[in-house]
Amino acid sequence: MNRRTFWGFTVPSVAVMLLLMVFPLLTTVWLGFQKLLLRDLNNPEWIGFDNYRDLLSDPEFWAAFRFTMVFVAIVVPVTMVMGLCTALLLDRVGRGRSVYLAALLLPFIVTPVVGSLVYKDLFERGGLLAWLWEVITDNPFAVNSGNVKWLIIIQAIWNVMPFAMITFFAGLQTLPEERVEAAAIDGADFWRNLWHVTLPHLRVLILFVGLITTMDMYRVYDQVFVWTGNRFTDAHTLQVYNVRIATAFDIGRLGKGNAMAVLTVIGIFVVLIPFLWRSYKDQIAERV
Amino acid sequence: MKRTTFLSRFGLHATLAVLVVWSVLPFLWTFQTSIKFTRDVAAKEPVLWGYETTANAYRAFWLDADDVNMWSVLLYIAVVAVICIALGQIGRRMRHGWPWFASVALVIFAALWRFPKIWEANDEYDFLINSIVVTVLTMIISLSIGLLAGYGLARYTGISGAVILIIALGFRALPRTAFVLPYFFGAKEIDDWLTRTGVGSWNFPIIDFPGIDTLQILDTRLAIVLALVAVNQPFTIWMFRSFFMEVPKEIEEAAMMDGATRLQAFRKVIIPMMWPAIIATGLFTMLLAYNEYLFVRVLAPTEWTLPVAIVSLTGGESSRTITEAAAASVSITLPIVVVIILFQKHLVKGLGAGAVKG
Repeated sequence: MNRRTFWGFTVPSVAVMLLLMVFPLLTTVWLGFQKLLLRDLNNPEWIGFDNYRDLLSDPEFWAAFRFTMVFVAIVVPVTMVMGLCTALLLDRVGRGRSVYLAALLLPFIVTPVVGSLVYKDLFERGGLLAWLWEVITDNPFAVNSGNVKWLIIIQAIWNVMPFAMITFFAGLQTLPEERVEAAAIDGADFWRNLWHVTLPHLRVLILFVGLITTMDMYRVYDQVFVWTGNRFTDAHTLQVYNVRIATAFDIGRLGKGNAMAVLTVIGIFVVLIPFLWRSYKDQIAERV
Repeated sequence: MKRTTFLSRFGLHATLAVLVVWSVLPFLWTFQTSIKFTRDVAAKEPVLWGYETTANAYRAFWLDADDVNMWSVLLYIAVVAVICIALGQIGRRMRHGWPWFASVALVIFAALWRFPKIWEANDEYDFLINSIVVTVLTMIISLSIGLLAGYGLARYTGISGAVILIIALGFRALPRTAFVLPYFFGAKEIDDWLTRTGVGSWNFPIIDFPGIDTLQILDTRLAIVLALVAVNQPFTIWMFRSFFMEVPKEIEEAAMMDGATRLQAFRKVIIPMMWPAIIATGLFTMLLAYNEYLFVRVLAPTEWTLPVAIVSLTGGESSRTITEAAAASVSITLPIVVVIILFQKHLVKGLGAGAVKG
């Protein structure tokens, strides 16, 4: 395909990405240097790095940062181990696999805010698990600023585990039967088989799921917002904090919110650039 | 070669059953809540069996009148569903299925159009329509430009192709918040300009839709669609590209030897082979648009879609809104359940493809 045909095919998509992704990102950088209030959008005022200074000295920013790190550090590994175990189990099921798959996929593709709402219902007054808690511990259960963090973490695991499961499951389908059989003939039991045959086969996928899940959990918004609203500020993740400072009624500071978005983008790219560079090399190698 | 004893098989299914319960328990509980009377929901000990059921919550969420027999509404939905399934099944068995699938769309359209004429619907019905309009438009625009770009990127060997792909991959990792604030600001600026210059109140013959007298961006479905198309583009082009890579070059080259132009070869030869890919990518695009919350909340303060409507319901704490929110949750989840059941194979394949290639 020559260059002109290529651009003919890609121009609509590239135009959309330039106009609605590159340009807005540049706007974000510019807005990050402005003093700009939500209720007075017509008078931006250049204030240099003040928004950034303001952010980095805001204890709520650091609280959100800490919680996001803890959140990612717990949710990602647990999700991956659970997903792998479930995929291994599913792989051994003959009949009824699609029924299990349908049920297990539901939390992942349900509307995120609805997923959080239905999960929250279990812990509300009169909810099933709140009642169980009361029966077992003899104390009434209420969602408060102490336990809401744990509820958010558990619900996030519930929410994203199916993604890891389905990806590993797809990977297991491509595992050549001969290699398993060869290992079995050599006398490998289940664990050695898992360690020496299955896991190496899934290595790329494990990296992939780890990366995607880390990114998704780092930028989680909907699910957490449903649990906290604008209360429980301790349990806000970076994105919830970001949207709150930018759009909260009356105190919304769009400039500060954009500065925060810039920090987020920088944070993501610091992690991502090695992977992007590797993909770029792969792409170039593939083309020649 | 796997010899399994009864005991290990039992253990396997028991473990999976526990996992299934962990996955669907919240949904079952919410469904129960949605069909209970308020007194049972508010009871100190959960009423698990033998409670009286009611459709009050559904009526309160969807309809304006409180004397409607909900069985008649259910019958209406069931009849529409049966007609659609029948037409769809016929279409699948035909060589040219598209007239049948088109008539499914027509039936759904007619049913949605008739519904508020038979029963007095609430605002929430408008939000459902918004959800559907946003989802369908996002799918159409996103998939058509994505298909073209995916094809170009799969076949072109220059450096610029690789650069576009990598930049798109980077964008895919960025959070909504990096885009929603500039979108909001930009839309506001455009709207201000439209009002200031008076362009917004011009009468364009083409966009003179009934009910729209001023042209604006903020608080319209168009704003949501544009935002969703943009953030969905990186995913779409990667997905389509990986599917196009599987189609051998020789196929369209043969068609082009026979005198077809590249565009003709693409339309007549390649696209018909791509339906599984289009369905898989379309499913994910559909879920993205249907599930969107943040963009709608910020860019459309009154033109809500269903997720925003549901979250706004749960602001209150009385048990009346608990049942109503539950009914709303069930209503919004049911279409997704139908999608999983109908398209499970495509979903699994799509997730697998994204993973193995990406």
